Amino acid sequence: MQTEATLAQSDVSELDLVKRCQAGDTEAFDELVTRYRTRVFGMIYNMVHSEQDAWDLAQESFLKAWKSIGRFRGQSSFYTWIYRIVMNVTIDWLRKKQVKGGGAEFDDAIQLREIDPASKTVPKTEALPHQAMERDEIRVRIEKAIGQLSPEHRAVILMKEIDEMQYHEIAEALGCSIGTVMSRLFYARKKLQSLLRDVYDNV
Amino acid sequence: MTTFEEKWTAWLDDQLSGRELSEFEASLPDKAAAQAEKAEAKKLGELLKRELTAHPLKNEEFFGHQLRERIVRDSRDQHRERARRSATSTWWTIPRLLWTGTASLAVFLICTVLVIRQERPAEESQYLTQILNARVDPVVSPNASVSIFEVKQDHATVLWTEGLQSLPADYAAK
Repeated sequence: MQTEATLAQSDVSELDLVKRCQAGDTEAFDELVTRYRTRVFGMIYNMVHSEQDAWDLAQESFLKAWKSIGRFRGQSSFYTWIYRIVMNVTIDWLRKKQVKGGGAEFDDAIQLREIDPASKTVPKTEALPHQAMERDEIRVRIEKAIGQLSPEHRAVILMKEIDEMQYHEIAEALGCSIGTVMSRLFYARKKLQSLLRDVYDNV
Repeated sequence: MTTFEEKWTAWLDDQLSGRELSEFEASLPDKAAAQAEKAEAKKLGELLKRELTAHPLKNEEFFGHQLRERIVRDSRDQHRERARRSATSTWWTIPRLLWTGTASLAVFLICTVLVIRQERPAEESQYLTQILNARVDPVVSPNASVSIFEVKQDHATVLWTEGLQSLPADYAAK
């Protein structure tokens, strides 16, 4: 995590870059993209679990950011602002995909019924020969579990656990209240605990 | 914080302190089970962080290059679209029509005022007034009629009267 001093320093230069972008400087925008592309791509990838889709959505998000950079007023950090765009683009895409696919992937309504905090999933018995394969397996399990969350719950848990964002930053990025963020975190964790208990107990 | 979910989440993330923390922990029916679940949540967080954090963006430079290309293409398209719109759009847009209408009305009013001021009618002739008075007085001239016409080639105005009982004595019409 960044210290306050480096945060302040990066914020100042970031604001400077944003002002240059607002004046039409594409090189300044390129600098901002270079700073955030890996994090943005990683976040989107963890939401959609496809490199090609994550690439396209990251491109789409940055293009939208460039088009609307004139509306950025500096009330939040650029990082939070770009995350809001990223989340809107990604959640919209997931929702459309759900509609096209008949809504089989995730379902908020059955979420709570499926959660049994006391349930233990039987650990996989087949022994994998290589550690790499085992990790792949774990990753697939995690991705499947995350895939069962609604886009909003996915966004919240990933921003909290992977990006270590604060509640208020997540709320800003998603355009909702802190209470909603905490509530979504509660249900997302419960669901993932029920789906991945055997994984984190045995790793 | 109002709901149990919010308090639970804050407790899991070690965001509760002081009185809030002690009150929440006192409200838990089974503190040992809650602590076990908190430990599980921490394990879940660690697992997610360990397995999901490092997903690299391959071809970073190409990513930047492609984005730059898209931005250039997009701004070129926007310019072209703007140019197309300005070329095809009618000159008489609504604001322009409004401005033109307002300006025309103002010019018309100014001209009207000027013309009225320049062509103020001459004072009414006393002679004509007398004749007209005579005409309208049914006692003096019951069948009187008065006509006025202009003879352009002579630059003269003719006052034609009929049926008057008498003409006024004063001929010096103004």
